[in-house]
Amino acid sequence: MFSGWNWVAYGLYLFLNICSLEVSGGLVQSCGHIIPESPVLALGSNFTALCVLNESCLDFGNIYANQIIWKIKNRVVPKEQYHEINRTVSSVTFNDTSSLATPLTCNILADGQIEQNIYGITVTLGLPPEKPRNVSCIVHQVSKLTYPMTCTWNPGRRMFLDTHFRLKYKWPRDNFPDCVPKDVNNSCTITDVQFFVNLEVWVEAANALGKAESDPLVFDPIEIVKPLSPHNLSVNSGILPTVLKLSWENRISAAVMKLKFNIRYRIIGETNWMKVPPEDTASPRTSFSVQGLRPYTEYVFSIRCMKEDGVGYWSDWSEEKTGVTTEDKPSKGPPIWRIIDASRSPASWTVHLMWKALESFEANGVILQYEVTVRAKSSLTSPSEKYNVNTTNLTLKLPNGTYEMTVIAHNRVGASPPSILLIPTSNLKAPVKNIRTLPKDGKLWVGWTAPNSYVLKYVIEWCLLSNSSDCIIEWQNEPGNVQGTYLKGPSKGPTVQTKKVGKAEAVLTWNHLTVDEQNGFIRSYTIFYKTVDGNETAVTVDSSKTEYTLSSLTSDTLYTVRMMAYTDEGGRSGPDFTFTTQKFGKGEIEAIVVPVCLVFLLIVLLGVLFCFNKCDLIKKHIWPNVPDPSKSNIAKWSPQVPAKHNFSSKDQMYPKGGFTDVSVAEIEADDKKSFSEQDLKPFDLLKKEKSTSEGHSSGIGGSSCMSFPRQSVSDSDEGETTQNTSSTVQYSTVVLNGYRDQTPVQVFSRSESTQPLLVSEERSEDHAGGSDSTTQKQQYFKQNCGQDETNTDRLCFERAKQITPANEGDLVGFAQLQILGPSSQPLGLGMEKNTQEAALSDVLQTSTEGQSVRHETVEGNPLSVDEMPKSYLLQTVRQGGYTPQ
Amino acid sequence: CSAPRPAQAISGSTVPTDPHWLGPRRDARLSPRTGVVPFMALLLLQRRPVAGRVLLVTGPGCPGHGLCRSNVQEQTRRQVALLNATAQDLFSLYLKCQGEPFSSETDKLCNPGGVFFPAFRVNRTSERKEVMVAMYKLFAFLNASLGNITHDQEELNPTAKELLDRLHNTTKTTRGLISNLTCLLCKNYNVFQVDVSYGESSKGKSAFKKKQQGCQVLRKYVQVIAQAARILLPHLSPP
Repeated sequence: MFSGWNWVAYGLYLFLNICSLEVSGGLVQSCGHIIPESPVLALGSNFTALCVLNESCLDFGNIYANQIIWKIKNRVVPKEQYHEINRTVSSVTFNDTSSLATPLTCNILADGQIEQNIYGITVTLGLPPEKPRNVSCIVHQVSKLTYPMTCTWNPGRRMFLDTHFRLKYKWPRDNFPDCVPKDVNNSCTITDVQFFVNLEVWVEAANALGKAESDPLVFDPIEIVKPLSPHNLSVNSGILPTVLKLSWENRISAAVMKLKFNIRYRIIGETNWMKVPPEDTASPRTSFSVQGLRPYTEYVFSIRCMKEDGVGYWSDWSEEKTGVTTEDKPSKGPPIWRIIDASRSPASWTVHLMWKALESFEANGVILQYEVTVRAKSSLTSPSEKYNVNTTNLTLKLPNGTYEMTVIAHNRVGASPPSILLIPTSNLKAPVKNIRTLPKDGKLWVGWTAPNSYVLKYVIEWCLLSNSSDCIIEWQNEPGNVQGTYLKGPSKGPTVQTKKVGKAEAVLTWNHLTVDEQNGFIRSYTIFYKTVDGNETAVTVDSSKTEYTLSSLTSDTLYTVRMMAYTDEGGRSGPDFTFTTQKFGKGEIEAIVVPVCLVFLLIVLLGVLFCFNKCDLIKKHIWPNVPDPSKSNIAKWSPQVPAKHNFSSKDQMYPKGGFTDVSVAEIEADDKKSFSEQDLKPFDLLKKEKSTSEGHSSGIGGSSCMSFPRQSVSDSDEGETTQNTSSTVQYSTVVLNGYRDQTPVQVFSRSESTQPLLVSEERSEDHAGGSDSTTQKQQYFKQNCGQDETNTDRLCFERAKQITPANEGDLVGFAQLQILGPSSQPLGLGMEKNTQEAALSDVLQTSTEGQSVRHETVEGNPLSVDEMPKSYLLQTVRQGGYTPQ
Repeated sequence: CSAPRPAQAISGSTVPTDPHWLGPRRDARLSPRTGVVPFMALLLLQRRPVAGRVLLVTGPGCPGHGLCRSNVQEQTRRQVALLNATAQDLFSLYLKCQGEPFSSETDKLCNPGGVFFPAFRVNRTSERKEVMVAMYKLFAFLNASLGNITHDQEELNPTAKELLDRLHNTTKTTRGLISNLTCLLCKNYNVFQVDVSYGESSKGKSAFKKKQQGCQVLRKYVQVIAQAARILLPHLSPP
């Protein structure tokens, strides 16, 4: 046991000596250190570290270099790598630094095998920089006088060390500040360079393990310029219809750099660019006339430039500009053919002359009209007849004979060469044999065997055999040297679909066929539509349209629609599309529903009005007030009670007709004072406990149409919930008029009844009974809340008026007025307050449930809470005010 | 010139001395933007025209030997041509930016007779070496003077961006030209030292005087650069 404590003490002593052996001047000195301190090593190299022990450690700790243990992180370095140089220095050698890690620590194994750390170093491993390769530079012109140069290079392998790259450059006798890359390691931009001086550029990479420089580049910056593209390009029509003149501005001075150009152009709508031969634009210029263009064609042009000698970079292509060549006269006449109908009359023919519209590259403009000339060949003397037509066909009725038909197309500039067709006396069969067809590449190929005689050209006629349409003759010309061709026409038809379907109309839409699908120029579209069992109807639509509205459709019917696109060579149908028209048109449903709703509303409204007007009648016939005699309590009429006349001005607010019943409860009071209903209302509204006196119950049970619940609330307790109110149905009726035509009894009576469910009412009665026993008998009026809501509102309004004269109409304000903070001081009513305050104060504390209420009365008679009927002691009414009890 | 300032009166006003006035010139060797050759800049501190001897070479061989290539001759010609092409525009813009009375009284105020300008007495028949030396003297002077004018205009017309850009560019071009001429003189003619003269400094002069001195130098520059371009053409044309 003792020896154990000895070891502990010894260990502690060692620890203190080794780790913080000597405290001198406040600094703790280590027991040794490692050389080198925080080395940066190249990966894969060898490395030797020395751990040097302080002499002091030898004295105090009795430790020597042979006790040193090297560690990488927590891993002990094999002792084979150690070397004890002397008694205070131990070295460790690593043949490959790849096995190194941080930290490398020098530790001591002291007596008792306690391992203590002497020192540790951080070892940083990495690679020296490689020589930057592939250095290249480009001068971007960014404005007329600004030419920044950007050089890029390959920074080489990852070096795992913080490596700095610098772009260095110099003139023969001038050095410039280095360009230091920002955020990148492979490029740098020199803001401005000078032309016509050789510049030497190289890149230097440096890190803790060394420096490396790229091979230097020597160049004149003018040789690596990427100029700005020419701008303000304009295209003007030349004198010739095949020429357009381009003009532009160069943004680099000719003194700095002479330029050559590339000009490209294409027909608008096409994608392939054509180029002006580069040798034509290989010299400095600011304009060029492009020739060999098609007349009346819109072209898109773009231009770029570079140094004249081709050293440097091409600029970007300029913005595109368009120009239209002028018109030229049509280059050829339209292809022409005929269909001869000789069946109608033996002596004459009906000749359907047809020709095809010229392609745009043949028309060279807008064809304004066709001039058709018909000349009889048999009679040389007969004059020729001329027809000017805008269409591409002409039907003529001609006597049998031989005719020469000539068609000439006219545009603004001139006329085309004539197309001539001879119509022979007889419709001879062509000597073509062995006509055969086969589908090929999605098209129909037609071949034939040529006749022996010379053929100028062939005309092929064909039609689409279809159950749904007649054979519409199509035709096309082929040169005389061929013996087979594809029937031309669209390779597919447009896909039609509905955009909007109504009851009798449908809006169809489709997309234009692509150029590859068109196989020519789309001349027109034909829409075919039919019902399931109906005939197909065809509508021809202009080729420029992509939308058409079918009208006069049958409602709620399934239609099938397809569409054909026609070129001069024929047509091709697209897929079928079906749709169903709607049963009702737009607005029809609304036209039916709205009037029905209106009529219904009108009927309801009339019914409600009738109900209101005849409320009393309905009430008396359907649910008359039947007082419960067993619960009735008839009071005695007191002649001292002020009559209704005493309501004075307030009476004016209640038209006589508005009251069907007025109940008057008579309660004897010592001072014979009575209160009007209006005077009582504020009390009722403000009190927070349920009315306990039967005398406070208004005779409204079942006698009001709509205001009954609210009246009950008012009469019982404004603060009570509707649920409470509805569970307290009070019956108190004084019959002013005779019941069912009986003679009215000239006695005011009050009938109170509590239905079996109205437990609370019974409790109220109990309480009221108690009150009655202690309070004096009083009289007061109670007005029923009229027959309709108007009366109720008026009554409530009256109350509000009475209480808050400053804001008569603001019932909400009144409601807010009732619940104020407890600190609110009640306003006194002069003498009343003085006489009632003491009597009521105790009640107020319980009845208001902690709420003080402040309100004012008309004519400057503020009614303080203290004046409230905290017990239901009733007050008689004086005109315009209250009389203290 | 967006907003040319009216010229100061001929007398009675002086430009407040800027304590940093000398700074840019001292730093010129570090600032490629000024384009002013450092040695000349130091000489600009003097108020009077200063003569100096420029050592083109400080050690064995020509400076930047690898950069003194065969294309330097053509580069020099292009530089002179560029200066010649832009000189008139520079002078016109300078006048425009100085306002009245420089615009209307150009001949009177900008008469270069009253300002020092190095002699350029060479012609097409002169020896090429002689021409190169004269060119060196000319552009050494111009480089310093343009640097001076640029500095003055930065103070007097700081918003005249185009003028300042053109002055900077011209100054830089003359600097490049000096570099090329150094190459040619050293490599082709073994000339390692040239006596040069620099213009009078405008330091401490009034704004009007500064404008006038710049105007006089630039006007002379327009005349001389045209002459230099003509002379240089046969001497530096590609073989």
